[in-house]
Amino acid sequence: MSLPTFKLLRPRTVEEAVGMLHRYQDDIQICAGGTDLLPSMKQRLFTPKFLMDIRGIDGLERIRVTPGLGVELGALTTLSAVEDSGFIHRHYPVLHEAVKTVASPILRNMGTMGGNICLDTRCLWYNQSLQWRKSCGFCIKKDGDLCHVAPGGKKCWAAFSADTPAALLCLSAEVNVASPSGFRRIAIADLYTNDGVNRIKLAKNEMITSIYLPEASAGYSGAYKKLRIRGSIDYPLAGVAVALKKKGKIVEDVKVAITGVNPAPHLVPDALHALVGRELNEHAATVVGELASRVAKPLTTSLLTPEYRREIIRVYTKRAVMAAGAAT
Amino acid sequence: MTSLKKNDFSVIGKPIAMIDSAGKVTGQGKYADDLSVPGMLIGKILHSHLPHALIKKIDASRALALDGVVTVVIGTDAPNTYGILPVGHDETALAVEKVRYVGDNVACVVAESESIAEAALELIDVEYEPLPAWFDPEDSMEAQANFIHEQRPNNIEKDYHHVFGDPDAGFAQADVVLEGRYIANEVTHAAMEPHCTLAAFEFDSHTGREGRLTVQSSTQVPYYLQHKLSIVLEMPMSQIRVIKPLVGGGFGGKSEIIPLEIIAAVAARKAKAPVKITYTREEVFLAHRGRPRTIIDLKTGVKKDGSITAVAAKVIQDGGAYCSYGVVTILYSGALLGALYDIPNIKYDGFRVLTNKPACGAMRGHGTVNVRFAFESQLDELAGKINMDPVSIRRKNLLKPPCITVNGLRVQSYGLPECIDVVARESKWAERRTKLGKGRGLGMACSHYVSGAASSIIRSDMPHSTVNIKIDRDGGVIIYTGASDIGQGSDTMVAQIAAEVLGCKMNRIKVVAADTDLTPVDIGSYSSRVTFMNGNATLRAAEDIKKRIVAAAALKMACAPEDVIMRDDLVYKKGVAPVAPKQENAPTVSGHVEGQILRGSVQQKRKDEGPKERMSFEEAVTAAMDNTGALGGTGSYAPPVEAKGGKHKGGGVGPSPAYSYSAQVADVTVDEETGEVTVNKIWAAHDCGRALNPVSVEGQVIGSVWMGLGQALQEEFVWKDGLLMNPSMLEYKSPSSTESPEIESFIVESIDPEGPFGAKEASEGSLAAAIPAISNAIYDAVGVRLRECPFSPERVLSAIRAKNGQKKIEMTNRVDPTAPHKMREHGGSTWYKGKGPQRHADDPSRKTTTEVPAAD
Repeated sequence: MSLPTFKLLRPRTVEEAVGMLHRYQDDIQICAGGTDLLPSMKQRLFTPKFLMDIRGIDGLERIRVTPGLGVELGALTTLSAVEDSGFIHRHYPVLHEAVKTVASPILRNMGTMGGNICLDTRCLWYNQSLQWRKSCGFCIKKDGDLCHVAPGGKKCWAAFSADTPAALLCLSAEVNVASPSGFRRIAIADLYTNDGVNRIKLAKNEMITSIYLPEASAGYSGAYKKLRIRGSIDYPLAGVAVALKKKGKIVEDVKVAITGVNPAPHLVPDALHALVGRELNEHAATVVGELASRVAKPLTTSLLTPEYRREIIRVYTKRAVMAAGAAT
Repeated sequence: MTSLKKNDFSVIGKPIAMIDSAGKVTGQGKYADDLSVPGMLIGKILHSHLPHALIKKIDASRALALDGVVTVVIGTDAPNTYGILPVGHDETALAVEKVRYVGDNVACVVAESESIAEAALELIDVEYEPLPAWFDPEDSMEAQANFIHEQRPNNIEKDYHHVFGDPDAGFAQADVVLEGRYIANEVTHAAMEPHCTLAAFEFDSHTGREGRLTVQSSTQVPYYLQHKLSIVLEMPMSQIRVIKPLVGGGFGGKSEIIPLEIIAAVAARKAKAPVKITYTREEVFLAHRGRPRTIIDLKTGVKKDGSITAVAAKVIQDGGAYCSYGVVTILYSGALLGALYDIPNIKYDGFRVLTNKPACGAMRGHGTVNVRFAFESQLDELAGKINMDPVSIRRKNLLKPPCITVNGLRVQSYGLPECIDVVARESKWAERRTKLGKGRGLGMACSHYVSGAASSIIRSDMPHSTVNIKIDRDGGVIIYTGASDIGQGSDTMVAQIAAEVLGCKMNRIKVVAADTDLTPVDIGSYSSRVTFMNGNATLRAAEDIKKRIVAAAALKMACAPEDVIMRDDLVYKKGVAPVAPKQENAPTVSGHVEGQILRGSVQQKRKDEGPKERMSFEEAVTAAMDNTGALGGTGSYAPPVEAKGGKHKGGGVGPSPAYSYSAQVADVTVDEETGEVTVNKIWAAHDCGRALNPVSVEGQVIGSVWMGLGQALQEEFVWKDGLLMNPSMLEYKSPSSTESPEIESFIVESIDPEGPFGAKEASEGSLAAAIPAISNAIYDAVGVRLRECPFSPERVLSAIRAKNGQKKIEMTNRVDPTAPHKMREHGGSTWYKGKGPQRHADDPSRKTTTEVPAAD
């Protein structure tokens, strides 16, 4: 399969890049590591007239620690760089746990944090070649008007399938977004729409330039559990991140987030009430598992059945909570 | 670790690196897609997006108008039918009149570049009239109209009904009889190299019309390809040259004529230029020819002492839209119930059914794997019923060779008892089995396979293999063999055999293989026949040529020919110490005085004094060449009549000159909360007769077990209304390094009386046992019987919950493992039964203008 034809743009500054985004709006696609985008382009899921390679922009590939504020990860920081960072490993273990499960080591050398956050949603009826999609009459996410997964509705249920955003939710991370009118910050929790098609709340002339991990989130113990059939390389069929802080045996604070099962990653809001101020035990962890499985709304977007994936969210949440609790 | 018997060979039985491995690892070796010739064009195939439909009209005018498009080929350009089996000529190069599965071949664009050809595909307008389609074999068998092939009423490709012995009486004698339905889902080869073919015609100097055709293709069967090309193109076989470059794995997926091979030749003829077609990975999945989804209703009876009294099997195979190897597959499934254990009574009903899906064909362990999973699982269950150890019940039912089984299979060498002993001992079966704790278990199973079929699929009495050897004055030995090395190492195998027989070093040997212009006929690399058959032909060719060298050497050394020994590049009299002859002048690279090799032995002899006691290989060869010029030897192999099996209908499939045997123990852990199965280790013992090259055998055994592991736990085709949901290496989950346990292999050498140096099959027999070994281990670990493979985590969890009486996991999208009876369907809407793609205004193929990509 060959790539569709496009004109390659290589901006040198963020200003130049957002200018290009502004000018070409519907006809442009940002390419960072390209690990997800290029195969999708071969499948004709994207046929942009312009491909903007942002790797030539200075200053977007770094991990910068500012005492009192936290850590800034440039959007182009590779997943391997985050995985290899001893600082991240020590202070934000949940992110370390999640990042090391993304794809395979080779893809992590190319894939970026910004790309992982902006990853397209995935579905068996969507991530297929043009020839294949023609055979099913296309789907609502691309070229068609029917959702094969939930044919009654008009909504796309493609699953958000990145690992790191679940960890970033647990860390209350924020992203820095550039546009022609300047920069703004959005909490990662406010970034996603839970719609399979327009998955992310960014305007067409905006791009993410960095990710902030607040200092207040440092020192939480963490765990990330990922369901996949093939251990060496797979998107999450279900993923659970847990960040937890204890004082003695008592849980002081906890955040639980799930990914891979809904069109967006979600925090499990009530996990706090089930754990904070109590001693961590199997029973409490089981309760959190139940809560998480209620947030999960998997549909037939993957090869495993929705029922199984929801069940795994329950079990993995329990295990991730126990693991995070044991890790302090 | 292996256990090998000591032998007195110089090359045979030694771990030798594959002779083509350096080229592969340095990139110097060329696979089909690495090839290109001047003026070469690229072909791209338009595939059907409907599972079953009449073609009303194909309009390629918009595609032909695109700059860079040379021609568009359609079915009527080459309408002759072909198929790998003489009884199954039901394929055409491109669909004529109708398409039979999503992915069927409709047209081929020939263009200057891949991107132009891809763009042109979207400009071909095909008008279809959809027909009702059949996706489930049991539904398909009930069809009264709209048959997939008109000549196959009820969509049954072939059914066989065999009775050997007296099964009714056998079941009556049994103390325990078990019946059960087992399902093995569809899997595919997933060879690393996608299929590729480059076809080029020469043109006649007088007429300008196309003359000889050369096809270079990723194939396991160059001679069958030559034959089928001659049928479709209506050319004599002598005008067609098929060359097999390096092949990156086949596993059966290249063991018949794959559509692109014929299409490339037809396209080259129409375009009047060389055409190369390389499949995308998705096209490899659609070309398929893998292992069919198989439904097995199995009944086995045993006495209290463990002896099997009778077996009855009803097997339905979901064969897809074309015959392919189907008739052979369904026969192997029945025939190979025999020759592993001593079973006095066998009843077999096999149905090969057509459905509107890609054709299934031959895949590693052809025909036996799914039935073996059912049988070994049921045997394990029966052992439990009569309180017998799973190892003991297998020992109880061993054959006593030499013998002929009730279904006519001749067994001579039989290393199964030793295989069982080895894995039971090495896995510490007896000590560990009961002490593994919760969620962990051991399982055992056995399997076997043919060393080639005694009767060829083309029903010909010609030798199955012929090999020529040439030795000339350079002292080099050139082997011309039709055997297709597809990565399994047949080039190395023939080199070893010739080196051993001729007593020369491996570096003297050059192998010219699988080129129909140069090499004699060998029917191909399939059914594990190459070492046994081509190896025997090589052995005979080498002995043929050796006779003449020995006769000449005997004269020079004034001894009887029987007393001449050739070994390690030396020729010497019996009783003489084998040391190299002293060289008076400086030796050359070839170990001989410059220029001497080109002289006759009489000229050389001037320096000699009297008769010799020992000679170098070159001296002996030169002596033999005094009167003849280059030496040529020929050997061929045809299986003996005694190995050809019974006279019953379909009795030609199953009989083999020799069978390999395997026994395995799997150690697994099952997570009872998630259903995830981790295989901790597999011990695999394989009886391959003599291991000609032990590292190669170990590689094959480990590879077979690993492939079985994939089918056991992860791999399956998932279908939705004839749409393959996972046609990619990302979604078709063959195991990766992280899921691959340690596989410890043990070689058992039973030394077959007819194999070359006693060798038998090594590359397929170990696959089948891996699946039931794992399912039996899962039972040992958590007490659930998995009757449908792969044992995916949701199937395992569902079974565990059913056993524990917990809340059921909704598995309606899949077959409930506790009662699997219907074709599994993925969830979601059924667009095919409602509105098709025609209604979509956004369908890019409907757009009148397509942006023309730049030529690359």
